[in-house]
Amino acid sequence: MADPTDPQELVLQTIGLRKHFGGVLAVNGVDLSVPPGDVRAIIGPNGAGKTTLFNLLTGDLTHDSGRIYFAGEEVSGLPPHQLCRRGMGRTFQITSIFRRLSTLENVQTAFLSHHRRHYNILTPARRLYRDDAFALLERVGLHEQARKPSGILPHGDQRRLELAIALASGPRLLLLDEPTAGMAPRERHEIMALVARITSDTGLTVVFTEHDMDVVFAVAQRITVLYQGSVLTEGSPAAVRANPDVQRVYLGQPASR
Amino acid sequence: MTSSARALGLLAVVLALAPLALPPFFLQLLTEIAIVGLFATAFNLLMGFGGMVSFGHAAYFALGAYAAALLVKRAGVPMLLALPAAPLAAAAGALLFGFFIVRLTHTYFAMLSLAFAQIVFTVIFKWKSLTGGDDGLLDVWPPVMLKSPAAYYYFTLATVALSLFVLHSVSESPFGYALRSVRENPRRARFIGINVRRLQLLAFVISGAFSGLAGGLFAFYNGSVFPDFAYFTKSFEPLVVALLGGAQSFFGPLAGAFGFKILEWLVSRQWPVYWPLFLGTIVVLVIVALPQGFVGLAGGQGWRTRLIRKS
Amino acid sequence: MSGLSVGMFLFLVSVGMSLIFGVTRIVNLAHGSFYMVGAYLMVTLVEVLPDRPWAFWLALLLAPLGVAVLGAVIEVGLLRLIYHRDPLMQLILTFGLILVISTLVLLAWGPDNKSVSRPDALAGSVRIFGQPFPSYYLLVLGLAPVVAVGLWLIFYRTRWGMLIRAATVDREMLGALGVNVAALYTQVFAFGSWLAGLGGALAAPTVAVALGMDGDVLTTAFVVVVIGGLGSFAGSFISALLVGLLQSFGILVFPAVSIVLLFAIMAVVLVVRPWGLLGRPEE
Repeated sequence: MADPTDPQELVLQTIGLRKHFGGVLAVNGVDLSVPPGDVRAIIGPNGAGKTTLFNLLTGDLTHDSGRIYFAGEEVSGLPPHQLCRRGMGRTFQITSIFRRLSTLENVQTAFLSHHRRHYNILTPARRLYRDDAFALLERVGLHEQARKPSGILPHGDQRRLELAIALASGPRLLLLDEPTAGMAPRERHEIMALVARITSDTGLTVVFTEHDMDVVFAVAQRITVLYQGSVLTEGSPAAVRANPDVQRVYLGQPASR
Repeated sequence: MTSSARALGLLAVVLALAPLALPPFFLQLLTEIAIVGLFATAFNLLMGFGGMVSFGHAAYFALGAYAAALLVKRAGVPMLLALPAAPLAAAAGALLFGFFIVRLTHTYFAMLSLAFAQIVFTVIFKWKSLTGGDDGLLDVWPPVMLKSPAAYYYFTLATVALSLFVLHSVSESPFGYALRSVRENPRRARFIGINVRRLQLLAFVISGAFSGLAGGLFAFYNGSVFPDFAYFTKSFEPLVVALLGGAQSFFGPLAGAFGFKILEWLVSRQWPVYWPLFLGTIVVLVIVALPQGFVGLAGGQGWRTRLIRKS
Repeated sequence: MSGLSVGMFLFLVSVGMSLIFGVTRIVNLAHGSFYMVGAYLMVTLVEVLPDRPWAFWLALLLAPLGVAVLGAVIEVGLLRLIYHRDPLMQLILTFGLILVISTLVLLAWGPDNKSVSRPDALAGSVRIFGQPFPSYYLLVLGLAPVVAVGLWLIFYRTRWGMLIRAATVDREMLGALGVNVAALYTQVFAFGSWLAGLGGALAAPTVAVALGMDGDVLTTAFVVVVIGGLGSFAGSFISALLVGLLQSFGILVFPAVSIVLLFAIMAVVLVVRPWGLLGRPEE
């Protein structure tokens, strides 16, 4: 059985990650180990450091100390575009797509970049990776909307599009920042079901932050609970749910809807 | 044949036949329109497609004009060999300046581009021994066979058409898609693996190169080059032209050039002194009157999130 | 020594520009035009007023006021309409104003260069460290600490100044506290214009009053404001002195290079620390 702490085996690992803002230690020595195929939820009350941790992982923030390993290689401090090239994909809490490009063009552009053709200034791009893009759009259920400007799509569809964009880069790890934020309950389950389907089909590893506990317990394979910048506990959904510290920390906090 | 291809074809025919019907003055006007159209289209690659507004593009126009003029005057190089130096010199300048400029965004981007243009202006102005300073370089003419208004008109038309073809290919290429994605959402573009700065620099260089070509064409059209080719008010021209004609379409700037030059001709022949006033007033009025800025300008997420309004 | 006085003119223009940006977040590209108008108004006032010793001083008082009025009119009539707009649009609009103002100046005063004579009291020169030094520059240099201290007093010791400083930090809050922010904006813009006009009026006896003054001072003021930090008063002061000195010494030592050096420094600052030496990072 593979040693789960062996860096070679893990898709993502952080050791002693720290970050302050002014006097506040937002992330205080976080150790995280995510094996391949894991669907990991990072939860915690407001102010626990989830967003900061997330931004550290995605290269949006630079850490003060500690290290980040991706697929066995150290990636601490690498800029986002290089993390993407290495196989990290992400979605944003506020949907982040290319609004004035069509749905299809959004995905095509991601493919073009993934295949390193984005410095090509002479061939017409319209047909490139069109079939691949259509296939991906079909997978996320946006096939019908391919030609529309993505900015006019309803919120839920934009989220799906963002997922497709992230997938087009062929990632090994998907980092989802509050994937169901702003969605109605039914949509939430739909999109997480989509994520679950895709990950089980492809063996993709997923790490996501969430406030909605229903979604978390339905989808996650393992849960890391953050509190005040450090890891409070980590384990299977059942174990976490039963953990008295977790219950105390969440006491009085109803599942968000 | 699509309708736009047909329209273009018709336009091409009309333009080709123009010298048969129009007196030399109008051929010259059309030549200028073509040159300004090229300059504005090159500028708009950066603004409309790339979402980067430069306030110092005159620098590249001037670098191109002076490079070609200097080769002809100081080195005796024939025009047809000197002209290609224009985009090359301008591209070099764009590479050097752009390296710094693309590290900034929005207001600071505009300010730094303005500063570099002023450097170019000042260097041209002060380096009298090389550039002739304030007096400029005179007698920069095309060879005899291209010298007549009709001949230079055809030459310019061909060069500009070819350049626009290349620029159009660029805008429709994978690079063009990537550039637009950066304009729309640089953060998202990074997360599909795009090195935003490098891409923007390439766009800057391409834009600068063709601006320089426009400058070179203008040098031989005008017969002389002057430091004020690089002055910041010259940088205003492609901006206004592109905005007037429509920054979100490829041919917008060209249409804008047409309108702009006709307007300039009409106003300047009656009241020459009033042209800057007229131009400035139009710009002020248009900005104040248009509810959302020029529709879909260098807008989109990038600018909106930058708006200082915190509400 | 003349570098310091050049620095002084620059300081006045830059502080005005910086102030306007700090409060209204508008980079007023027409600020150089205000400087120019101040100089031209000085020309006319000196011509129109009777030839008495006090005429110069009265003109020096009135010219900047004229520019302040111009500034206020522009702010109320135009800028108020675009505060909520894209900063780019604001830049383009102020750029358009440059064209409008410079043509109006041309129409009003004609294309020839003008000049203003120094007042008799300051027409000569004195010897400082054995070098002849135009007395007029003494005025300018003497005014420098007065203006600097005056500005400091205004910003740090008056209620109005406190409001301005608050506005540079958080405008919405100020409005929520019941301050008439719109009026404050107009006042700030008028004051900034006044400063630029004062710079122009003071500079008038030392330079050729000509079209094109606006561009030259604008670009140098830009450099000053960027290096010092948009929105920082102390930054503009130090930066203006440095730039003024650099320009003067530079011209002596490396004539062709000095301006280039200046812009190069500005470029470096913009790349390394875009908010300037003493400014505050945005957002």
